Amino acid sequence: MRWVRAVLAPVLVGVAAVAAWELTVSLGRIAPFILPAPSAILDQFVEQRANIWQAALASGGNALIGLIGGALAGVLAALAASRFGPLSEVSIPFAAVLNALPIIALAPILNNMFESTSSIPRRLVAGIIVFFPVFLNTLRGLREVNPIHSELMHTYAASGWTFARKVRLPGALPYVFTGLRQASSLAVIAAVVAEYFGGLQTGLGSRITSAAAFTAYPRAWAFVVGACLLGLVFYLTTLLLERLAMPWRSRLIG
Amino acid sequence: MSAVVVDKVTKVFNQGRPDEVVALSEVDLTVADGEFVSLIGPSGCGKSTLLRLIADLIAPTAGTVTVAGKSAGTARKQQEYGIAFQQAGLFEWRTVLRNVELPLELRGMSRARRRARAEEMLALVGLADFAGHYPAQLSGGMQQRVAIARALAVQPPLLLMDEPFGALDEMTRERLQTELLAICAKTGTSTVFVTHSISEAVFLSQRVVVMSARPGRITASIGVALPSRDDAGRQSPAYFDKITEVRRALRGTPVTSPAETR
Repeated sequence: MRWVRAVLAPVLVGVAAVAAWELTVSLGRIAPFILPAPSAILDQFVEQRANIWQAALASGGNALIGLIGGALAGVLAALAASRFGPLSEVSIPFAAVLNALPIIALAPILNNMFESTSSIPRRLVAGIIVFFPVFLNTLRGLREVNPIHSELMHTYAASGWTFARKVRLPGALPYVFTGLRQASSLAVIAAVVAEYFGGLQTGLGSRITSAAAFTAYPRAWAFVVGACLLGLVFYLTTLLLERLAMPWRSRLIG
Repeated sequence: MSAVVVDKVTKVFNQGRPDEVVALSEVDLTVADGEFVSLIGPSGCGKSTLLRLIADLIAPTAGTVTVAGKSAGTARKQQEYGIAFQQAGLFEWRTVLRNVELPLELRGMSRARRRARAEEMLALVGLADFAGHYPAQLSGGMQQRVAIARALAVQPPLLLMDEPFGALDEMTRERLQTELLAICAKTGTSTVFVTHSISEAVFLSQRVVVMSARPGRITASIGVALPSRDDAGRQSPAYFDKITEVRRALRGTPVTSPAETR
């Protein structure tokens, strides 16, 4: 019953919001180039579904490669920073500078570094954006070791590497996944937006810009919906991985 | 050979700084093989510090600590002791069985052997049915039993315990005390047990070592011989006599102000 209520309430609100939107547009006679009606967007979504699917695969591939690369780099950098004290003091301001960089604005510059048909700049943008939340969260997790755990490992005469592998890393997993959850949606946004600046015309971002350029706004919105769904898929997959990776958290009721 | 020899050990924290603290001053302590010794005293008397010195978790400022005939550092590296703290400190991402296996794993014992040993230890503390559970699924008392099983897993000649039952309710505590005594008797383990419960110290120990604070030192060493260590023992006159004796020893020490004369 509780489950039904938890699902029912947001669905009802969503349906009401879409209905209100539809009525506002049709009764208020809002010009379709300002705000298309949801029904028009849905029509376009159905009509363009094959294109949206193809574009989502292209953008999703870039986002996935960026996410995996950035996350791996983030975790490894955090491991290194937590192992060598001075490194972590240097690396945090460095990571903060990296985070403050308007990465998206770098996309056109990165585009010029590679061939115009290359997907590498988009993957790089996604990877750099993913790096920061994963690095910071993982580092925090690696540092927060239960003092009893470190004393116990000391009494077991465990080496620093063994300690990192058996205690620090599994203990940091919840933090890693907090970072990954933030990063998963960011990776999709980065991969899509990076396409606004030219290069290959295969992804959702380029489809959105070209549809908008042809004043085909319902079509542009249909691709935006596709990008939204892609982001959701990334987020939910991360949630699922989190549950699989940490069975001790989901098996609390046993 | 004695299980533990502490020889004129002094421990000063933050030496040479304004917040310098003399935690222990010239402490001597010998624990015989198979003996159960409790350390009792007010907060800040250095009983935990003494235990941590024996465990080689900290180093003495002066004096020597010998465990099983070796220096404390060597004894630690050879896992000559098992240790349990007030918090169970289980690794929440490992099942109960794998928690008990960890010290064996780090010793390089084969998978099959350490599994068998861990199961044996869990049976000893009465948790054989919970091997596959995660720590968060267990009650505090059960977690503490897992911690004891883990401390015993390498079958160490010495068991060090720092208020292991301090966070438990009275009923669980008494049951675990009885279990601990049975385990020690079965395995012949020597034990150093830190507590601030007088009744716990008297019930468990062959000897209660009373400490006082500022600077931490040993003020009395009281041998305890109970007719039996079970519920009857808890009601015997000898038990109450010893509780009174330990309480007097604790009161006789200048706890509040060093200006009070003994």
